Amino acid sequence: MPAFNFKPQYLPPAEIHSRLLKLAALFLSLNAAMLSLAPVARSRSWDLSLLRWSHWGGLALWLLAAWLAQRQFTRHTPDADPYLLPIAALLAGWGMLSIWRLSNGFGLRQAAWLTVSMTVFLTGLRTPLNLDILRRYKYLILTSGLLLTALTLFFGTNPGGAGPRLWLGCCGLYLQPSEPLKLLLIIYLAAYFASRLPIRTHLLPLLFPTLLLTGLALTILLIQRDLGTASIFIFLYAAIVYLASAKRRLLGISLGLLAAAALTGYFTIDLIRLRIDAWLNPWADPSGNSYQIIQSILAVASGGIDGRGLGMGAPGLVPVAQSDFIFTTISEEFGLLGTFALFILLAILIVRGFIIAIRAGSNFRRLLAAGIATYFGAQSILIIGGNLRLLPLTGVTLPFVSYGGSSLLTSFLALLILTQVSSELEAEPISLPQPGPYLHIAALLCIGLAAGTLANGWWAIWRADDLLARTDNPRRSIADRFVPRGSLLDRQNQAITITQGEAGHFTRLTLAPDLSPLIGYTHPIYGQAGLEQSLDPYLRGLQGLPALDIWWEHLLYGQPPAGLNVRLSLDLGIQAAADRLLGKHAGAIVLVNARSGEILASASHPTYNANLLDNLGETLTNAPGSPLVNRAMQVLYPSTAAVTPLFLAEYGTTSLTNAEQVQLFEKLRFYHTPDLRLPASPASPAGKTEPGLSPMQMSVAAAALSNAGLCPALQLVMAVDIPGQGWVVLPPDGRPEQCLDQQGVIELLKGIPGPFWQFTSQSKVGSGGAVTWLIGGTRPGWQGTPLGVVILLEEDAPGLAQSLGMDLLEAAIK
Amino acid sequence: MSAVLLLGLRILAAVVLYGFVGSALSMLWLSLRQQSTLVSNRKVIPLTLTIQTDDVPTRVLKFTETTEIVIGRDPDCECLLEDSTISARHARLTFHHNQWWLEDLQSTNGTRLNDEMLGTATIVVSADQIRCGQTTLTVNLETNGVAHG
Repeated sequence: MPAFNFKPQYLPPAEIHSRLLKLAALFLSLNAAMLSLAPVARSRSWDLSLLRWSHWGGLALWLLAAWLAQRQFTRHTPDADPYLLPIAALLAGWGMLSIWRLSNGFGLRQAAWLTVSMTVFLTGLRTPLNLDILRRYKYLILTSGLLLTALTLFFGTNPGGAGPRLWLGCCGLYLQPSEPLKLLLIIYLAAYFASRLPIRTHLLPLLFPTLLLTGLALTILLIQRDLGTASIFIFLYAAIVYLASAKRRLLGISLGLLAAAALTGYFTIDLIRLRIDAWLNPWADPSGNSYQIIQSILAVASGGIDGRGLGMGAPGLVPVAQSDFIFTTISEEFGLLGTFALFILLAILIVRGFIIAIRAGSNFRRLLAAGIATYFGAQSILIIGGNLRLLPLTGVTLPFVSYGGSSLLTSFLALLILTQVSSELEAEPISLPQPGPYLHIAALLCIGLAAGTLANGWWAIWRADDLLARTDNPRRSIADRFVPRGSLLDRQNQAITITQGEAGHFTRLTLAPDLSPLIGYTHPIYGQAGLEQSLDPYLRGLQGLPALDIWWEHLLYGQPPAGLNVRLSLDLGIQAAADRLLGKHAGAIVLVNARSGEILASASHPTYNANLLDNLGETLTNAPGSPLVNRAMQVLYPSTAAVTPLFLAEYGTTSLTNAEQVQLFEKLRFYHTPDLRLPASPASPAGKTEPGLSPMQMSVAAAALSNAGLCPALQLVMAVDIPGQGWVVLPPDGRPEQCLDQQGVIELLKGIPGPFWQFTSQSKVGSGGAVTWLIGGTRPGWQGTPLGVVILLEEDAPGLAQSLGMDLLEAAIK
Repeated sequence: MSAVLLLGLRILAAVVLYGFVGSALSMLWLSLRQQSTLVSNRKVIPLTLTIQTDDVPTRVLKFTETTEIVIGRDPDCECLLEDSTISARHARLTFHHNQWWLEDLQSTNGTRLNDEMLGTATIVVSADQIRCGQTTLTVNLETNGVAHG
């Protein structure tokens, strides 16, 4: 490739122009192909009927415009800067395809505006428009711009319906006068200062007319609440005054004024306070005021380094992605690799602009070119910084890229002026006594872009994993629709909860709805709960599979692989019996295998049906009886009387010293939260006499009585089905330990007739309420599987508890 | 899978995008090199100074690569003259804009060019006589066979 041949050789500008445009055309064509293919790839099939075609029309218009631009360049402006248009055209085409990816309608409109803008640009280059006309009529130009902008105060509309009324509209066409106003302000300031260079008089009389007009513009913008454009105005004004006067003090004063204005705005204007609060602490209100910025950085995190590929991400989740958040869209689908290139292109554009300024033949052209380069740079940094939470969010556009006719046309008009200045370069530029300000502003803008790159890397690499794991990341729910989630099975591999439907429409179904407090749910709006939450890494395929598989799926689809099935220790038959027995009584039942610690049944009533979450939704949170709570794990009940059989077994007496009680409770692990990979309420603090106990904690003691004083380690999640390896056992957390005196246990239970033993007790709760505990199990020496059972009823009903216990144990041994 | 084809397109697009960035940067580098070559190709016109002082034999000094010649008594001067009527740094000949320019360095007794007191920097041509104190320097420029710019 000759471009990489470093031997100095003469490369005419037309050749550079042509090469860059060809590469841009190739890049955009590849993107168009990607966009066509994306729906097919998303469906994970070869269903070619899904291919998208409409955006090729936009690309054709782009190619035609590029071809005309190349012809024009060779014939009419062979000395112009050959980098400006190819970069702008690449950015505009990239933006157009990204917009098309979000919405065909917006894409079509953007293509139409791009055609208009390119036509204006090319016609402008052919017409030898003398830039000095702009200089002569500077007041007229700025005043008409101000008038147009002021008209929006009275006749303003918003094409989107709601929101700030910044547009003038007629017959389906909308103009946002504040966009061209930026360019008009630059022309006015450049013309004004060029005629007063070198500046030797007092600054205030010199600045007065410009301050008046800029202040007027700012007032209109502030009334319109167009804060982004107002910030750009202040920055442009400060930059041009600094360029013209070379007084560093002025730059400092302007920055101070900007900060003071922001502070004043913070305390007086609600909108500014909201924006700044959302910027400083977005996590405080992620679904309200900070929704946009949180969704934006989630999209950046989803893009990562390599990006999801055009059409493969979910950038549409960010509100107004096509205009204010187009950078986020590009960041998600092209990744840090894409945005890094974008940053370099913007930097080249800015630096070329300043080179043109320094080589310009008159002060007016010099200030004009530098002002336009500053405008490109400052506006890009403001919106990219806003998207990346580097700066407060403002609603300005990314030049050339964002959706919007006024913005695109203004950008191309600015480019036209810059190109004209570059093609009129004289052999000897006019002298520049103080080049410092030009270097400073250019360096400042490049530093801004570098900061943008760093912020982008911060979200896309460093913080990506944490961000993507957030439950308010909607990409997880989208993945759930496209990737089958693992099933939950009982100990005989009977399905408890499954995924049904076909790719793109997967839904979750619980076959044992009464188990919902334990199983929980995974829902796009309500998030996750229960085992669905705690086993999410396995069910979602992010744990247990080879890292390479996970990486490959992520590379192709940005989604995890198919989830793994998980086997639980529950027995659906016994579980159904437990649920039937508990019925309408509020309380919990836990039945364990006393030897292995495997939980065979765990019921919590009142229960709810996770399949109906769409309809029940919010009402569940405040429903009477708190059905969402898993009473077996998440509630600690008073246990004063319930523990007396344990005292008897261990010490042979019920009157124990506090130290003896604490020692026994420690052995029975009453001060520890059972680790069952389930949400649980924290256990009572160590050393507390009369600790509150969950039925699950108590079931260990019941198991110990049935198992000659040996406390098993409880286990609910048994094994996970890994492709290629089969069922891989997940061992319980802990080992069986002797926690009650063996002889004492035998002594305690020997007088009880029948195969089962049971103790009931009542504890008072609050004012008038009571709970009933039942602990029971199989007699020592029982030939079958030893069982331990705990029944808790939120009422004073020992008789009911006893009959439930007997029925359940009878059902379990069948 | 269609996603693998898409991955191929993604990689290609990234390569082309960086091809664009790389081309732009390399061509910028190229034009920088081009400019520097252009500047370095500008040959300095060799300058010969014939130095005549009353009591010292005539000397001839030839400068081929230098673009700046300071005349004076200071040992650092390219054209060192042992003459008490000459300042330490008396006058300077510089080559720019494809010409040799003479300027006085605010010397005590001044510099004369062809018997005229030198005010601002002035272009010198062959056979010009520069007078510093008691010394006369005759300029000779070798203009034949040298590419001008």
